[in-house]
Amino acid sequence: MIEGVLFLVLMSCGLIFGQIAEKRHLKSLVKRELESNSLPAIASRYPVDDQPYQQHLVTGGVVIASDYFKSFTAGLINIFGGRVTPFESLLDRGRREALLRMKSNAQDLKADYVFNVKLETSRIATGRAGAIEVLAYGTALVSGNDANNAPTIDSSSTNIAASGDRAISHRSVGNASAINNGGIDTTESSET
Amino acid sequence: MLISNLEILPDHKVVRHLGLVQGSSVRSKHVGRDFMAFFKNIFGGELRGYTELLHESREEATLRLVEQAEQIGANAVLNVRYSTSSIAAGAAEIFVYGSAVEIADRD
Amino acid sequence: MRYENRQPPEGINITRVNPYTQFFKLLLAATLFLVLLVVALQFLGGFMAKRVPFTYEKQVSDKLGIDLNSAGASPEMIRYLNELAIRVSPGMQLGESVAVDVHYNSENVFNAFATMGGNLVFYRGLLKEIPHENALAMVMAHEIAHINHRDPMAALGGGVTSLIFTSFITGSSGLAERFLNKATTLTSMQFTRSMESAADEAALRGVNALYGHVNGAADLFEVMGDLTGDTNRNPNILERFATTHPLRDDRIGAIVSLAKDNEWTLEGKLTPLPAEFWQWLNVDD
Repeated sequence: MIEGVLFLVLMSCGLIFGQIAEKRHLKSLVKRELESNSLPAIASRYPVDDQPYQQHLVTGGVVIASDYFKSFTAGLINIFGGRVTPFESLLDRGRREALLRMKSNAQDLKADYVFNVKLETSRIATGRAGAIEVLAYGTALVSGNDANNAPTIDSSSTNIAASGDRAISHRSVGNASAINNGGIDTTESSET
Repeated sequence: MLISNLEILPDHKVVRHLGLVQGSSVRSKHVGRDFMAFFKNIFGGELRGYTELLHESREEATLRLVEQAEQIGANAVLNVRYSTSSIAAGAAEIFVYGSAVEIADRD
Repeated sequence: MRYENRQPPEGINITRVNPYTQFFKLLLAATLFLVLLVVALQFLGGFMAKRVPFTYEKQVSDKLGIDLNSAGASPEMIRYLNELAIRVSPGMQLGESVAVDVHYNSENVFNAFATMGGNLVFYRGLLKEIPHENALAMVMAHEIAHINHRDPMAALGGGVTSLIFTSFITGSSGLAERFLNKATTLTSMQFTRSMESAADEAALRGVNALYGHVNGAADLFEVMGDLTGDTNRNPNILERFATTHPLRDDRIGAIVSLAKDNEWTLEGKLTPLPAEFWQWLNVDD
């Protein structure tokens, strides 16, 4: 009896809050994507060379949890096979959020472009209920004129509160690196 | 629609970059397949059910990528990358993304 | 070269579905699928069990050497129980080569069960509640009927295989596991309950053949109802559905109507237990 009540409570929590959160998130994604539209984020590895630019590695990360209702439905889909639709929207939201955070990181640096954008997805296994982590990263190009007043290691402007990711600028050309907030691993990127 | 993981096409030039396009697909196989995979794990060898699953997912993800590119008026997607991740037990996610571009013949 | 960020339209990477209808459809389909699977496996198990010769079942169970714990039993009690089994058998149309072996367990559990190889086990806790021989003969005949119907084999064949298959399926459903397990257990219960009812019927036939009446046959179910807390005199359909054994009143009612249908008399002289019965019971104290 208690088990049944608990189940219903969890399901309705997932249903109500999960759906509300998803709708709200999608709305905010659309709005912010429009706002950041002026900054091109490109997957190409060949940057523009019309003028001198500084390079900064910019990152944006997000961890999104599935709700009880989504996980339950996904479990049922697993029996029959087919598209796991509850997770499609979850992943879509995660990727767009990660890209937006990366872009906002680049905008803080007053970048003109972000090149060689890459995305990584991984499952953060916490029991049966899933959570996913999406990381977006790329190289931001900051034009020479803006470079003088671009913030460097000033964390107040480059730090993205939600992800804790931070960009460090390097004056040397062709090399950029990032540290994550734990400072455990360092990613080297010299694609540009 | 031209899809390539190259960046420079020998006989085309990129006229315009239109940004990032992506396609993703999360799919799972029915329990019968999971059951066979469970046994196959004892003897080793190819898990055909799952190979098929990932193949289907990849096709669907690619189709979605192409649709996004078409919708924004691109005629090619360059520098395409695939990534696979396990989102839930028995379900695989294929993600593909690339640069949507407008290309023209090189003069 | 020009660079711009064109936003692709919404919803290409998301399949548009109504989460509510999708959920209910899936839940219904999963439940139906599991119920059908359990029904199929249980039928298959019962079908196969009846085709394995009893002599083979006995050989296997002897080889396994399951300890049925007759320790602490007085030899007279075991002899008496086995002799009662032989007396009640003739009217039960036992299958070829079906023979039972009665064991005694000194634990104070209100229970008796039939297991593989024609082995019956009577617990001290049940024996000490017996009011007269007619009631004991009914329980004895009930367990013999289980052996004759090959129910222990069917439980092994159908019950265990369906448990394995369904737990694999529900296991892969993650959070939905608990819910789906309930559905499969409830389905399995319908099978054990129909086995119990069939055993009751065959047992009553045996008791009637032995005594010429069925008076007192239901008496132990009265006691059992009190002991297991089955005091619900008006069970609803849900409560009936969720048990392995028929509920007390249903069971007693079924006995009365069976007697009526077969024109067995409910009146008759009760046979007392042997005078030494209580001594035999207390021999291990």
